Amino acid sequence: MNRKILGFLPFLIFVLLCVFLYQGLFGNPRELQTGRLGQTMPSFNLPDLMDEQTRWTEKELLGEVYLMNVWGTWCPTCIAELGYLTRLREQGVKIVGLYYEQAYDPDFGDHFDIHALRNEVQTMLGRAGNPYQFNILDLERSLALDLGVSGAPETFLVDKQGTILLHHTGDINQRVWRSKFLPVLEEIQ
Amino acid sequence: MNIRTVLLLVALLLCSIAVVNAAEDQYEFKNATQAQTFKELTLELRCPKCQNQNIADSDAVVAKDLRDKVLSLVHEGNSKQEIIDYMIDRYGYFVHYQPPVTPATIILWVLPVIIVVLGFGFIVFRQKKAAKKQQWSEQEEKQLEKLIAQYQRKERHQ
Repeated sequence: MNRKILGFLPFLIFVLLCVFLYQGLFGNPRELQTGRLGQTMPSFNLPDLMDEQTRWTEKELLGEVYLMNVWGTWCPTCIAELGYLTRLREQGVKIVGLYYEQAYDPDFGDHFDIHALRNEVQTMLGRAGNPYQFNILDLERSLALDLGVSGAPETFLVDKQGTILLHHTGDINQRVWRSKFLPVLEEIQ
Repeated sequence: MNIRTVLLLVALLLCSIAVVNAAEDQYEFKNATQAQTFKELTLELRCPKCQNQNIADSDAVVAKDLRDKVLSLVHEGNSKQEIIDYMIDRYGYFVHYQPPVTPATIILWVLPVIIVVLGFGFIVFRQKKAAKKQQWSEQEEKQLEKLIAQYQRKERHQ
């Protein structure tokens, strides 16, 4: 009897290993979570994308549930999700854009043309839909680094107290919205 | 391969080493400790974008940003552990190649030890069991000696 069980052991280990590895096939290694989850929005003081006179800080965003969407015109997936995000805005979701400028690197003395960028953004939003209440320009990607952003698009769900509830890497579509964002939104309302 | 090709290859190899050294020398530090800390950190911190590369290796925008941040934190005199914590705060445990010991990861340390202990335990157990099976009394020993003596005598007669 004992010997029989012992004989089965390698097979059992094999099956467990198979289950473990099979699960790995469906994991998404790009699905990274910021270390900021459950913490409050890091403090920042950054200009508006369209008007450098206006400056935004984390305090102005308190009091409302909002999405912070990291995007850039250089990122095709970001453009693709603009349509769905615009529909969300029409449903009353507040979306703030964090403009992630990829090309700019002060170390190389890059010249940055803000007017060209504004024109490009305006054309792009005019064509695909504008989901944003406003856009924050993070030229040196300092807020992006503080948020643990690794690229675009990425989206954060922040509550009224400024607590980061969700971090989503990749585009937002109906499936992601329903399975990931809606349950959390329903919970806090 | 003749000697000329070999020499050419060696020369090429030396050239590439020189280039690598030149690329590494672009950062300036107050002292050797800071340079060492920076080097260690860029090798130990993982790029969140091109995964399976460290930030020294990667050309992604975020890797460059992380390198710059590590550099400025090193210049400010932060210790290695402080900088690692700074990065983990923002990018999670993923960003460090050395996983922390938590209830979820403890198996990584415990499992190898368990396997070794079980393996040795099994060997010892089997040896003991085998030894127990061999019962050898004095009577049997005498019988064996007698048999050996018999055969030896037989051989001598032949």
